[in-house]
This record gives sequence, structure tokens and C-alpha cells, in this order.
Amino acid sequence: MNVIKRYSTLYLMMLPILLYFIIFTYYPLLRGLIMSFQQFRLIGDTPFIGLDNYLKVLRDPFFYDVLKNTLQIGGGILIVGFVAPIVMALLLNEIAQRKFKKIIQMVIYLPHLFSWVVIGGIWIFMLSPDGGVVNEILLALGNDRPIHFLSSEAYAKWVMIFSASWKEMGYICILFLASIVSINPSLFEAARIDGANRWQLVRRITLPALYSTMKVVLLLNMMSILRMFDQIFIMRNPAIAKYVDVIMVYTYEKGIMEFNMGVATAASFIVIGMTFILTLLTRIVIRYDN
Amino acid sequence: MNKKGLSTLVFGLLTLSLVLSACGTNQTNNAATPASDNGAKGDEAPVKELRIMAGVVGGKTPEETELFEKEIERLTGIKVDINKPASDYDTKLTAAISSGEKYDLLQISKEKMNIFIEQGILTPLTDFVEGSEVLSDIPSNEWEQVKTKDGQIYGVFSKFQGGTMPIVRQDWLDKLKLKAPTTLDEFYTVLKAFKEQDPDGNGKADTYGLSTAGLYEIQGFMSAAGLKQRYVMEGDKRVIPYATEAAVPVYEWFAKIYKEGILDPNFATNDSGKMRDLFLTDRVGMVTYWDAWVGLFNNTRLQEDPNTTFQAKGIPGPAGPDGTILLRRGDPDVWVIPVNAEHPETAKQFMDWWHTEPGIILGSLGIEGEDYSVNDGKYELTETGKDHGMDHGVPFWYNQNVKPPFGNLPGVDDAQKIIVEHATVELTPPGWTDAEKILNNYAIKAMTGEMPAAEAVQKMHNELKAANLID
Amino acid sequence: MHKSISSKIFDVVNIVFLLLIVVSMIIPFLNVAALSFSSNLASMSSSIILWPKEFSIEGYKTVWDRLDLWLPFLNSSIVTVVGTVMHVLLSATAAYVLIQPGLPGKRFLVSSILLTMMVPHEAIMIPLYIVNKDLGLINSLYALIISGVVSGFSILLLRNFFQQVPYEMSESAKIDGAGELRIFLTMYLPLAKAGLATVTLFEFVSRWNQFMAALLFINDQSKYTLQLALKALIIDTDSTSSNFLMTTNVRMAGVVIALIPLLLIYPYVQKYFVKGIMVGANKE
Repeated sequence: MNVIKRYSTLYLMMLPILLYFIIFTYYPLLRGLIMSFQQFRLIGDTPFIGLDNYLKVLRDPFFYDVLKNTLQIGGGILIVGFVAPIVMALLLNEIAQRKFKKIIQMVIYLPHLFSWVVIGGIWIFMLSPDGGVVNEILLALGNDRPIHFLSSEAYAKWVMIFSASWKEMGYICILFLASIVSINPSLFEAARIDGANRWQLVRRITLPALYSTMKVVLLLNMMSILRMFDQIFIMRNPAIAKYVDVIMVYTYEKGIMEFNMGVATAASFIVIGMTFILTLLTRIVIRYDN
Repeated sequence: MNKKGLSTLVFGLLTLSLVLSACGTNQTNNAATPASDNGAKGDEAPVKELRIMAGVVGGKTPEETELFEKEIERLTGIKVDINKPASDYDTKLTAAISSGEKYDLLQISKEKMNIFIEQGILTPLTDFVEGSEVLSDIPSNEWEQVKTKDGQIYGVFSKFQGGTMPIVRQDWLDKLKLKAPTTLDEFYTVLKAFKEQDPDGNGKADTYGLSTAGLYEIQGFMSAAGLKQRYVMEGDKRVIPYATEAAVPVYEWFAKIYKEGILDPNFATNDSGKMRDLFLTDRVGMVTYWDAWVGLFNNTRLQEDPNTTFQAKGIPGPAGPDGTILLRRGDPDVWVIPVNAEHPETAKQFMDWWHTEPGIILGSLGIEGEDYSVNDGKYELTETGKDHGMDHGVPFWYNQNVKPPFGNLPGVDDAQKIIVEHATVELTPPGWTDAEKILNNYAIKAMTGEMPAAEAVQKMHNELKAANLID
Repeated sequence: MHKSISSKIFDVVNIVFLLLIVVSMIIPFLNVAALSFSSNLASMSSSIILWPKEFSIEGYKTVWDRLDLWLPFLNSSIVTVVGTVMHVLLSATAAYVLIQPGLPGKRFLVSSILLTMMVPHEAIMIPLYIVNKDLGLINSLYALIISGVVSGFSILLLRNFFQQVPYEMSESAKIDGAGELRIFLTMYLPLAKAGLATVTLFEFVSRWNQFMAALLFINDQSKYTLQLALKALIIDTDSTSSNFLMTTNVRMAGVVIALIPLLLIYPYVQKYFVKGIMVGANKE
């Protein structure tokens, strides 16, 4: 009793926060789980139908399309969106002029600030075969006809991977830069005295110092793969839907556009399950690495 | 203040901020729908209320929608609350309905209506329609469009639905001394000329012959092969004509004009808004779109510049092998009453009124004082009214007794004649959404030449069959 | 220091390469800005425009006055400001509670908060909608303010900042008779200014860009937020039920208007965010 009294103010302070999580995360989670076992009807009774919804999802050929797309696009972003910022950070670190470095940092961070509505809209526009900047440049470089980036199977996934990596590159790059800056300069001095060249400095000192940041970035990226929605929802179109629709878009379409709430929530829970597994796996791998 | 007092106070404030915000909305919500309570209080004159969710009926801006609500109240005495999302209508509608939100009237497409009927959430309106004096004026063959298999009616038209057709720049045709095309080959010649002969006279080769919004409207050209959009029943077999061998030459025709840069290269990613803008800004000479838009196109350019030479004209598509022209009549938009509506009777009263003169004037011209004024019994459009193109959800209507006060917009009458003569309603069974994806995927590949048309058709046929979407 | 030739070559190549990257970041925005200041017809032409063609502010006039973009702008501003303030306050409160040593049940609290971070909000959109509807929040800006009014990420981040405040300080304050809230408000909040700034800026940006919640919870056009309005304006333009001529300059003017508040806070974001995320991410 005494304990409760002693900490009562603290518990009271925590109450609204807990309420929020219960009402807006745990309860919907539970409600969704129940829905995924029910036959959904807009009005009227909703009988329990066991695993039917899950089976429906697993039997739907479209689901495997979106699963494949999610893994391909997500995997692409994971790799490109991981390597590019590291390379950027290393290159930026080699720049001697401080002002120039500052300006680059400022500019590359910009796209991260803006929503996918804006970034997606801009890229759709930039990639247009009718006067889009990218195609105009390619034409000037000798390409004989415009490329239809957003309506052809061959480019669609790459466009998603690169636009996502482009948007987040600066943000992640600056994270890496921050850890490079925090490396003890005496380490470099000592190595230089030992006769190490620039590449060896990077290889032996800078890169190892980035490990902990790499883990954080990898974990963050990993968790965002399966929840990809805004980007695809904004940039998709009927011509490439089959190649870029990801799981969350599938859920949205099934649930909202086709009234299959049961199937939609079942698909959601498959995603939630996969997120848990992926996150745990990543954590284990990272710990192991330690 | 002692420490305990202070801490309780500040904590209280924190919690309150959460709780208050919840209460605050509850109040506003209650204010919007207290009707059932009011109705129970016998003595007071019952205030009739109506909660509506609509896609196209209402104001052009949120403010105008408010005025729209007031105008309805002024004219009918019904207090209306119109929810009119500016985009993603289907998302908002489904989210609202599936969570059990209560609306008295919804404006939905026939396609959505069929899904809703299947879910058992619509009130049958057959008796109401048959008993209504205003609605019984609508010809019975029109009602056939919305009847279910067992002859029930669940939806009342919210407007007279037109159809789609090729719309051409008549002034460009005249300038290049070309005749309106009637066969696929003639279309090719005309479109090629639009592309190459600088019809807008700006000295730059920046025009396209044709633009579409994906596969949304290629019916005008499929007509040449005698094919109908979406589903057709052959006996009891479900067939998608666009996915049959006969469609191959049309896809090939598209591939040809695409390759030659006559077709707007963005056609696959365009939505209809972008397509319209290309047409309106002299970038493209032909689009396929609604009959009503012939008038709106002409009106828009006329508003920008009274001396414009711009002239849009609706033309029939090429005729099929047997000489018939197959155009597409759009799925009608309907008013429906969900079973959980709180004021179904008021909703019916409103639907009746919607088809009378004051309702039609509101749905077309707009709001008195805002869009038009009446002087000595004569209507006069304000600047806003002219901007709004006499369309607030009802460009055309059924009631023959109500004549459009200004006639139709330029070009519309001719376009409508073509639609009435050649357009038929299409069949949209459940499953179309999935089928459409398959169709889109391969049709666009065929049209862009990424895949030979014959192979594309074969593939879409196989996939449709495998997914049990055709028989 | 003496540099070898290959090292010098590398420097040049490196600078050129980085400049190219910078150009790839700037051109899109330059393109948008230039288009927004071009005239109606000029903005529809098919050529690269990096400088306004036939300079005009028609686009801005149309989007602001005729399409009433000021209204979504106002709505977004309200949601962003109120939501951010509440988010920071609540997250800081939770963070403060979670640094108390010996608080019974702390482990449980921490792990239940950690767990929420693993549930993608996107995956529970449908039940979330139902909850909001049951609370009468649909079609109200409150729904957008409450959605994400506190987050595990911010709590953990602030907790790490608070942990850097020496605990002895609050101990001695307690001995002097100060209550928890007083310590929280007068000692921790001022000392963790950098942390608060970080969370504030993060939250400001993500609130301003909030899309999915608005897509689901808001029906009425008068409650639209900027991102929804922008989507209608630049992505699916057929859904704007107007027959105004919507040329590219109008659309791009909308984009520029949406970017302004973010550009205004941008210098501060730069300043704080590295610090914030490093402190936040270093510890569990």
C-alpha cells in the first residue's frame, strides 16, 4: 500500500499515456484479431469462421504477387538505402572544404522532410515521358525515345526503390557522418604515422566505427519494409499495379475497396506476424554480431 | 499552493486535454444528429433532418457546400448535413459504412449499389418508386438498369447519366481541312495530322493526336471491332470482350499510334483530370470522355477567353463489322437509403424533391444568390455560376417538364444525341475489380507494344480463366 | 600535408560526383518552383522549365482563392501545432516516469511501450477506424490530433535525454520537499531542452506530412488537411469535382505552399536531429 501511495503521482502521470496505448493500439489490435476470424458483414451478425479468412489470403494469387513485390522492393530499398548513404557519408568525409560540406549536407537532407504526396507527385512529374526532366535529359544525351518509367514492368520496381532511397539517403547519410565525426582524431593520426593511405584509413578505422550506427539503420529499415504504404499508394497506377502493389496496399484494397474486412484483417495479421519475426531475427543477428 | 495541489492540478490539466478533446467532438457530433430525440418530443414542430454522403452533389468548395445545405433547407425545410469528400470517395464511403456510421442517404454508383445489396444493407425502394408521382415519369426501361434479378429497386437516379465518346477539336479539323473520321484508318489519318501538322499553330511539334486515361475510355475505338466494355453474357457464360481475339487489331492500332508518338505517352498513367487538362491547353486533339464534358470543355475555354476559336465536338466512334457503333453509357449514380438510416421517410421525400424543378435547378445551376439570380422570372448566372458550368451534381436530368433555363452548354445537344442513339449500359458483376487488374496489365502492355497484342490477349484470357473470372 | 596524384584525382572526381548528387536533389524542387511561377499555358508545355516561363502568379491565385487551399492549410496548421505540443508533453511525462528507479512495474511499462512500436499502424487501420468512430472522432480534427499523440519512439528518445540529468539533483530536490511534477517541470524539462527540441521538430514534420490517418478519418471537405488536398490536386486530379482548368502551375503552386512551413523550420531540424537520434538510438 505504502509503495502505491509513494508512487501514486507517477502512476497518475502515466495514466493518460497508458490509456492512449490501450485504446488506440492494443484494443484495435485485439479487435482486428477477432475480425480476422469472422465472416465480415457490413450490417448484421458476423459468425466466426475459423481460419477461413487466412486460407483465402493464402490461396489468393494476388497475395503472392504483392508478397513478392514487397520483398523485392523492400529488399531493394534495404540494400540500396543502406549502402548509398554509407558511400555518401564516406565521400563527404573526404571533402576538405567545410563550407562545401555543409551545403551538401543541407541539400541532401531536404527530401526527407517532405511527404510522399509531394515527393511522389514530383517524381511522377519528373519521370513523365512528356517533357519530364529525366526523359528530356536522356533525350539530350542521345536516347532516341522517351522511357516510360512509370508504365513499364521493367522500370516500375526500380523507380520505387530508387525514389525511396533518394528520399531517405541524406537523412541516413547524416547519421553516419555524425558517427564519423565522433571518431577520436588521434586514431587517424596514429595510423597516418604508420603510413596508412586514405583508403586504408577508411577501411581500418572509419568503417568499423560505423558498425553501431549501421545496426540501428538496418533495424529501422527492416521494420519499415512491411509497412510500406504511402509511397506505393501515391505512385502506383493501373499499368504497373501488378508489379508494385505491396502488402499494405493489398490490405487497403481488400478491406476498403472490396469490403472484405475479414480477409483484409487476416492479411494484416500475417504482416504483423512477419514484422515480429523479422524484427526478432534482426535483433538476434545484430546481438550475435556483437 | 502546496506541492500536492500543484501536482494534482497540472496532472489534471494533462488528462483533461485528452478527455476534453473527446467530449468536444461528441458534442459537435450530437449537434449534427439530434433528430431522433427531437422527433420524440411531440409538441414541438419536428425539425426534419437528413444526413447525406455524396460524391458529386453539393458545392464546388466547402463553403459552397454549406450554402448548398442552407439552400436545401430554405427550399424544403429539411435540415441537411452533406458530407462531400473531395477525393477518395470510395475509401471514405466504405470506411464510414463498415464502421456502422449512420447516413440517411448515400450517393453511390450502381457498381457499389450491387455490393451493398449483396451485403444486405440497403432499404428496398420498389414500392416508394412505384408510388411516387414524380419518379414514375422516368421511363421504365431506364429503371431496368437498376433493378435486381428479382425485380427490386434499391436506388433512385441522382441524375441522368450520359455516356462516353471520342471528343475532337473541331476547330483543328477545320483548320487542317479534315473530315470527322468514321473508320479506324480515318481516325489514324486525323490523329496523325494533329500530331504532325501543328494544328495549334505555335510552331512547335508539341501536340498529340489522342490521349486517354488508361483503359478507362477506349470503348469508342473498341467499337470498331464490335466489342463492348466490361462483361457480356453469352448464354450463361461470362465473357470479357476486351480479352478476346477480336480485340487484337484494336490493340495493334493503339500500339501503332503509340509507337509513332501520336498517342500521348502518358496515357497509361493519366487520370482523367490530366487528360482533360491536356485537351484544354491545346496539347492534344482528341480525348474520349463524357458527353457532358463537350459542353464543359467549350465553356471553360469560353470563360478564359470569349473570342476563343476552341471548339470541342463529340463524334461517334468507328462502326463495327456489322455497322453498329457501340458506345458506353455510364453506370448510373443513384441515391440509396441504408437500413440503419435514422430518417428514411425524410430521405424519400428528399429524393422526390430532387427530381422536381427546384431540386433540378439546385443540382444544375446551383444556389440562388450565389450561382444565379432571378429577375422578373428570368434566370441570370453570376460569375461564379458561369465558372461552375451549371453542374452541381446534375448536369442532365430525367424530368422532361423542366427545361434547362439556358439550354445546354455548346456542343452538348449533339453529343447527347449520339449517346442516346449508340450507347448502352454495361454489365458489371462482382469480381470486375479483380478482372480489371488483369485486363489493365496486359492491355496496356499490348497498347504500348511491350507485348504482341495476340500474346497479351491470350495471357489475359488464361489468367482470367484461371482466376475463375470468365467462363 | 603532401598529397599523391591519385589522391588529388580522387578529390576532383569526388567533388564532381557529390555535385551531381546535389544537383539531382535540387533540380526537382527548382522545377516545381519554376513551374509554379509560370503562366497557365506555359506550364503545360513539354520542355524542362528551371526558370519561370512567362512569369505569373496565376497558379497561386487559383489554388489559394478558387480552390480554397487556405482551408486545408489552416486545418493542417491546427493539427500540427496542437498535436505536436500535446505529443511532446505526454511523451516527456512518460519518459520522466520511466526513469524513476525502483518504480514497481517499470519493466512491464517499458516493454508494453516497446511492443507498440512493433505494431504497424497501417496494419490495424480498419479496427482503428472503428475505435475512432465509436468515440465520435470521425470527421473531426481531434481524430488527427489524437492519432499518435504519444509514441514509443519519442518516449524512449526523451528517456535517454532525461537519463543524462544527474539523478542526485532530483534526489536532493525531493529531500527539500519538491513533488514529482515540480521536479519534472522545473528541472527535467529545462535540462533536456535539446531532447524536447528534437522531438518537437520530428513530430512537427511527421504531423505536417500525416497522410493515412487523414485519408481514413476525414470525410468532409471542410476538414481536409493539406496532404489530402494535395493528393487530390496533384495525384488524382479527376477527383477534384471542379471544372476549373487545372494547369501544372496551379498544382505546383500547391506543392510550394505545402513546403513553406517545412522549409521555415528546416534550419532547426538540421541542428537538432543528429544529436537527437544518436542519443535516442544508442541505448535500448
